[in-house]
Amino acid sequence: MKSPYDDAEVIALDGVSKRYYLSSQRVEELKTALLHLPTFLKASRARQEFWALRDVSLTIRRGESVGIIGPNGAGKSTLLRIVSRLAPLTKGKLTVRGRVSPLLELGAGFHPQISGRENAILNAVLLGLSRKEAKAKLPEIADFSELGEFIDQPMRTYSSGMYVRLGFAVAVHVKPEILLVDEVLAVGDAEFQRKCFDHIEKLRQNKVTIVLVTHDLESVKRFCDRAVLLSHGAVAAEGKPREVVDEYLSRHFEFSASPSGGGDS
Amino acid sequence: MEAIWAARYRDLSERLNLAQLARTWDLLLLMSAREVKLRYQETVLGFLWTMAKPLLLALVFAFALNYVLRIKDPGGAPFVLFLLAALFPWTWFQSSIQFSAASFSNNAPLLKKVYFPRFVLPLSAVTSQLFHFVLSIPILVVLLLAWDYVPGPQWLLGFPLLVAIQFLMLAGLALLVASFNVFLRDLEHLVEVLMMLWLYLTPIIYPLSAVEARLGNVVYLNPMASLIQAWRDLFLYDKLPGLDIWPAVAFAAVALVAGSIVFRRLEGQFEVAL
Repeated sequence: MKSPYDDAEVIALDGVSKRYYLSSQRVEELKTALLHLPTFLKASRARQEFWALRDVSLTIRRGESVGIIGPNGAGKSTLLRIVSRLAPLTKGKLTVRGRVSPLLELGAGFHPQISGRENAILNAVLLGLSRKEAKAKLPEIADFSELGEFIDQPMRTYSSGMYVRLGFAVAVHVKPEILLVDEVLAVGDAEFQRKCFDHIEKLRQNKVTIVLVTHDLESVKRFCDRAVLLSHGAVAAEGKPREVVDEYLSRHFEFSASPSGGGDS
Repeated sequence: MEAIWAARYRDLSERLNLAQLARTWDLLLLMSAREVKLRYQETVLGFLWTMAKPLLLALVFAFALNYVLRIKDPGGAPFVLFLLAALFPWTWFQSSIQFSAASFSNNAPLLKKVYFPRFVLPLSAVTSQLFHFVLSIPILVVLLLAWDYVPGPQWLLGFPLLVAIQFLMLAGLALLVASFNVFLRDLEHLVEVLMMLWLYLTPIIYPLSAVEARLGNVVYLNPMASLIQAWRDLFLYDKLPGLDIWPAVAFAAVALVAGSIVFRRLEGQFEVAL
């Protein structure tokens, strides 16, 4: 069944490029810089550019699940960082409509000295809820994370599994409209993983847009409506997951079969 | 809610609408509360330290300055009162700047993973220290009463006014120092020493008149001199600040503008430097 919002663009990248500079010996100490002043000045002028993304144009619609695939260093994570506004763009334009919840690294803002409950509230506000909303969501978060009485213990007493479970619980309960997922679903035991997938599936049915970055090609084929292949920072292919994955595999295969021939072009 | 970022904006912030402003306020509140809580956590006295520390600090200073060095208030107030009326606001000033200096660099993991209005971090250092300052006021009041200095009606207007001036000044300085510190970590150590120097340049442990005679109006080049003098006049003599507080107000405005500009310019480069 099509909803009237299906055509609404929630993420639009328009010719987005991102440049980083490969830092050629950053000055660690003033003394070194002063002693080697001529070399230092020359080096800083000739710093090497690296384009992590080149002229990427992409639109993602409401409720769509898009898989971003590509070899290491293709720019997948940079793309997610730009959409979640952790990195400014060098060129182009980005439009985002809706609350973005990044599942980039779970529990990034947790402080070990305070309780899981307080951390969960602060984290939910960091991700975009108001304090009132966060407090209202807390029972659900506590329930989902299966922490039981540990929720009131300082987080330094948590196991790494508990840490990540709370992180995931917060991230998916902040009423995200756009969920950015970067290879984090390999958390917890098998049962909790299934629970995460079930929950993401539920969000998907509620028209939450999902952008998934992964090396797990099978899950892209199974889960995504569309796939985008990035190569050297540019969009190399885009379309049905099965076709794009095949394209990726054939390029990758060609590349590894004849290392001397330029596989990607 | 729609947000557009283009390369030409150079920064990551978006125009604040009302809902976001409310959320930023919530964030500031939670962050400050966390900082207050973390301060004396896992100590036996816990929250009592908030009050005990300024009091002990005052005793040490009173012993060293009054008993050993024999400094006196020209206005005739008991030395402890004379000192505390200036030392408590100064402690808020100094510790805010010191704690905010590392507020970006110490929170690198957070800044690299989640986007939120980042100015909240240095600002929460200032507000949590303000909280400690406000809690030290009852101690001052008790001591004032003990020497028959009764807080007057001018406090009602003077206190919020001076808090506002000092808060804006601190907000600007905190943004400035914290932003630069991302790129030059030496700054947080330098600031520690500079604050020590600033303490001695400001009439806190000695009366303004002691240097005014020798240096003349040069004293007023230090914006904190006029602000501290205003605090003292309010606490001891229930006197509202007059026009001679202008250096502090002007400095607050300059600090705020400079801090905002520097922060907005540098924010986009945090991801590379942190």
